[in-house]
Amino acid sequence: MLFLQFLVTGIVTGCFLILATIGFSLTRRVEGFLNIAHAELLGVGAFATWWFNASRGWHIIAAAAIAVVITALVGLGIARAIYDPIRVRGPAVLLITSVGVAFVIGGVIDALIGTGIRTLDIGLATSYEPFGIRITNYQLLVVALAALVSVSLALFLNRTRTGLAIRAMAVNPELAASRGIDVRSTSRATWLLSSGLAGLAGVMLAVIATLTTDLPFAQILVILAVAILAGLGSLYTVIASGLIIGVAMDVSVYWIPAGYRPLVAFAVVIIVLLFRPEGLAGTRAA
Amino acid sequence: MNWPQLIITVITIGSILGVVTLALNLQYARGGMINFGIVAYFAAGAYAYAIATQPAPQGLDQYSFGFDWPWWAGFVAAGFAALVFAVVTGWPTLRLRGEYLALTTFAFAEVFHSFLINERRIGNGTVGLSNLERPVSDWGPIEEKYVFAAAAALLLLVTLIAFRRLLNSPYGRALDAIRDDEIAAAAVAKPVADMRRQVFLISAVPVGFAGALYAMFTTLAQPSLFTAEVTFVVWIALVLGGERPIYGVVLGTLGLVFFEEVVRAWPFETVRSAQIAASVEHVVTGLLFIAVLRLRPFDRISEQLKARA
Repeated sequence: MLFLQFLVTGIVTGCFLILATIGFSLTRRVEGFLNIAHAELLGVGAFATWWFNASRGWHIIAAAAIAVVITALVGLGIARAIYDPIRVRGPAVLLITSVGVAFVIGGVIDALIGTGIRTLDIGLATSYEPFGIRITNYQLLVVALAALVSVSLALFLNRTRTGLAIRAMAVNPELAASRGIDVRSTSRATWLLSSGLAGLAGVMLAVIATLTTDLPFAQILVILAVAILAGLGSLYTVIASGLIIGVAMDVSVYWIPAGYRPLVAFAVVIIVLLFRPEGLAGTRAA
Repeated sequence: MNWPQLIITVITIGSILGVVTLALNLQYARGGMINFGIVAYFAAGAYAYAIATQPAPQGLDQYSFGFDWPWWAGFVAAGFAALVFAVVTGWPTLRLRGEYLALTTFAFAEVFHSFLINERRIGNGTVGLSNLERPVSDWGPIEEKYVFAAAAALLLLVTLIAFRRLLNSPYGRALDAIRDDEIAAAAVAKPVADMRRQVFLISAVPVGFAGALYAMFTTLAQPSLFTAEVTFVVWIALVLGGERPIYGVVLGTLGLVFFEEVVRAWPFETVRSAQIAASVEHVVTGLLFIAVLRLRPFDRISEQLKARA
């Protein structure tokens, strides 16, 4: 029974990881580099929600909505101001620059918020115990949101014009441009989408976790683990590897101390990389 | 502000980190390998020194091993530990390239860090190992801090000379060939994969030594000293100094450490202002990073110098 409890908690963790990684993976595919600052965008979303909700007294849904919008705009602004001018210098330079961006966002959040624990002005979680397994309404919300985001993103990428343009750019930017896709507006859509998703993941972080200023950046480790495992491939492998890592981390608590959770995530990654150097997806295809 | 003390600290810490930056420079600018987990080799050296020189555990100590060796044995052990760690981590990761390598080395460093925290039998977990042995306690009229500054500068100098000799040899030219065009180098029978692995291993050893020196200097081996932030700082220093000229790397590290120490030593009136200053330090470091990568001032200067010559 305890094992099943860990399994369920693991699925919740996995759903959060899906929310946190989808945007990161989308940037990787379309813009072609690993945006380490993605984790700090989670922080922007989380603390914007906290500020509107706890300090200004807004309703949580209004606060969350505005936080997601703010995060999306911040993400787009950073992309235009910092990443675009150095795009030609290749993914390694962009990756290292994004570490600098993460420092800047993290420092600004630190200076504005300060140390200590922040909590949202929302009720305590109600827990349900179907079949003796405990789950809270906030955890269910994370699962529902992850499912909703995955499905709507899949529909968006497969059915809409902008979605198809994003996928075309992910596969071959030059060909996409020569076929008449507006590269600039597609890139803008990608940044808004991926940063908005980071904001949403940040809201979820604020809802389910004890919020401190160093918490968002701590997420980058697991986000990277999920992203490597997925081989930075398609949306579906991100979902699969999010769940695998989430479940592996939480189920491992059944046998070994909880402090080893991140270690388990990377152990999974290292084992997978030994057999499949390109990750679960196998190829770099979209 | 106490300037002489500040400068001594900058020389000591800057030289120690300078060794790490040099190793990173060898791996990245010459070997084409992005190592985002360099702090783990540094930590391996520091912990190896600590474990080798610690007396056997007693009382509240949770660590299992303490060999009570003399300091020089600990120093050698540190280099060896970093080498072993490089062998272990290099074996699965070096087949990966570019950003995949960056991510996996990063992952290894985090795994190692979490291991140090959770496995208390290595080094007391988060508490760490303290009161580490320093080589000689009595230097007569010379203050100990000067000795450490000199030792750190010496280690930096030795590493610099060793790397320079290596890079100016036929071996170094073969490395450059591999970096510039891997297929062409392989076509003239350069063992590409082997040489890359050798560079990875060679560069780990001085990082281990630097770790030992750092442990002697701080007399502390604690997980909180060896976070990913060290990796980032060293990378920033590398970027600051430019990738190619090997002296630029050293200057970049010293400059960055100087900047950080000045911020740290600044007398602040309140806790809140000190806290804000710490955040501002992060922001400025990040901005510096972004600006240098974008503008490449040092690369331009060296190009201009070359054009004139």
